[in-house]
Amino acid sequence: MTNVPTRAPADTALLRVDAVSHVYGADARAHRAVSDLDFTVGSGEFVSLVGPSGAGKTTVLRILSGLLRPSSGAVYMQGQRVTGVPDGMAMVFQDYSRSLLPWLTVEKNVAFPLAGKKLSSKERTSLVSESLSAVGLGSAHQRFPWQLSGGMQQRVAIARALAYQPKLLLMDEPFASLDAQSRSELEDLLLRLRDQYDITIVFVTHDIDESVYLADRVLVLSKSPAHLVADLPVPLPKPRDQISTKEAPEFVRLRGQVARLIRSGGAEESV
Amino acid sequence: MTAPLLRSPLARGKDVVRLAGRALLTVALLAFLLIAWQVVTTRTTYPFFPPPWTVLQNMGTLLFSGPPSHLWLSDTARSDALPTLTRMVLGFLLGSTVGVVLGTVVGLFRTASELSTPVIEFLRSVPAAATLPLFIIVLGAGSDMRVLFIAFGVVWFVLINTANGVSSIHETQLMMGRSFRVAWWRQLIRIVLPAASPQMFAGLRVALSSSLIFAVVSEFQLASNGAGYQLVNAQARFQILDMWTWIFFLAFVGLILNLLLALVERWALSWHRAQRV
Repeated sequence: MTNVPTRAPADTALLRVDAVSHVYGADARAHRAVSDLDFTVGSGEFVSLVGPSGAGKTTVLRILSGLLRPSSGAVYMQGQRVTGVPDGMAMVFQDYSRSLLPWLTVEKNVAFPLAGKKLSSKERTSLVSESLSAVGLGSAHQRFPWQLSGGMQQRVAIARALAYQPKLLLMDEPFASLDAQSRSELEDLLLRLRDQYDITIVFVTHDIDESVYLADRVLVLSKSPAHLVADLPVPLPKPRDQISTKEAPEFVRLRGQVARLIRSGGAEESV
Repeated sequence: MTAPLLRSPLARGKDVVRLAGRALLTVALLAFLLIAWQVVTTRTTYPFFPPPWTVLQNMGTLLFSGPPSHLWLSDTARSDALPTLTRMVLGFLLGSTVGVVLGTVVGLFRTASELSTPVIEFLRSVPAAATLPLFIIVLGAGSDMRVLFIAFGVVWFVLINTANGVSSIHETQLMMGRSFRVAWWRQLIRIVLPAASPQMFAGLRVALSSSLIFAVVSEFQLASNGAGYQLVNAQARFQILDMWTWIFFLAFVGLILNLLLALVERWALSWHRAQRV
């Protein structure tokens, strides 16, 4: 990885997105997916990226993760330009049935990314057990992912990310294919884990309620090409609660604001 | 989504009963056919179809009449049956290894696939048996030539299936590996190859059956030993019983090796089978 801090890491930002644009293809068939995106994510923050379906949210997340190189602009993690997947970053994908390897047990799936870290086998085992217990799957070590329900599989994927001990956790619509019950359980689990492990989270979703309920800040993206429409702080008290938080006037107001911003693409309520 | 929990012991018990029932039916059907064959052939005087029991007895004397120090294998077994088996297994292993390696490269890299597809399509369209004269002229009539001939015959099944399996791996599986900075060789061994293994095994199954065919065919020409050699010799000398014996021998070899591969596959792909239940 090259080490080119073009701007000094003066702020406390863990992640800085600087004038990022991305174009797929070239010439006549070129498709502009991301347009001139600028934002920062502070250390310890929980930031939601919300936008309409097909807005290019996944493209943004891939650029943040270093899996995709943007056509122009740059991403900095802790002041260092991201040119490949940086150290200290983990990802949770929407499609848990693909992101977990069906030929490995739950335990081995969680341990899978740890091979690249210099850990003793004892440290590795305890990391795996700890993170599986943290997601409430302390007794599922020897099961296979496909023997578990969707919600439990996504818990395994979260445990795998936790065991990896990331500073930054990127989540790509992780609860989008779960039923409502599992979804709210996992939302609350995620908030607890975030406090417990003190990690920074960037959470992509198209669910407006979810984006507000979870985050400290909601970044609203326009429809394709994705650009930033609004950067809204969420001053809701913690810990959040599925019932009372969602009844709070502030929650209702924010939800309405985000919904209107998404519908209008930022035309009415510009920042 | 409902939770597909572990199957209950009751369901597994039912499975065992059903499996046993099916096995019983298969054995009964085979026994019936064998008995019918035996009865019909003993009652007719047509010389080209000896009764199966006679063929089996002949196989006993032909192949298994040796001394205990040679594991009861006769000289013929050691000079003809084993060499065929050895060449077949070596040819299969060589062809499969090359097929898996090349198939993985072709499946992973678009350029490799675009460059190699026309060549592969052409080479695999050539009936492999038709290349035997060429192999003999270029490589001579030795055992090595036959092994290479078998390998050439079977490599395509494995190569094409592996390439298909590798190229159809879901993007998320690959991205997972990359996003956790997993070493490339570990991504290959622990993600790519297991993900492609169901299709790889489909290729290996065809390759195994074909390797027996090519082993026998390779011994039809300019051979000095082997099951195929003994087979055409027996035919030329009108030793119908010996000819049948070698046919039976090859059938048993095919059956046993297919069973062994099925067992390996059962073990290696247990996750895949269970997942689809």
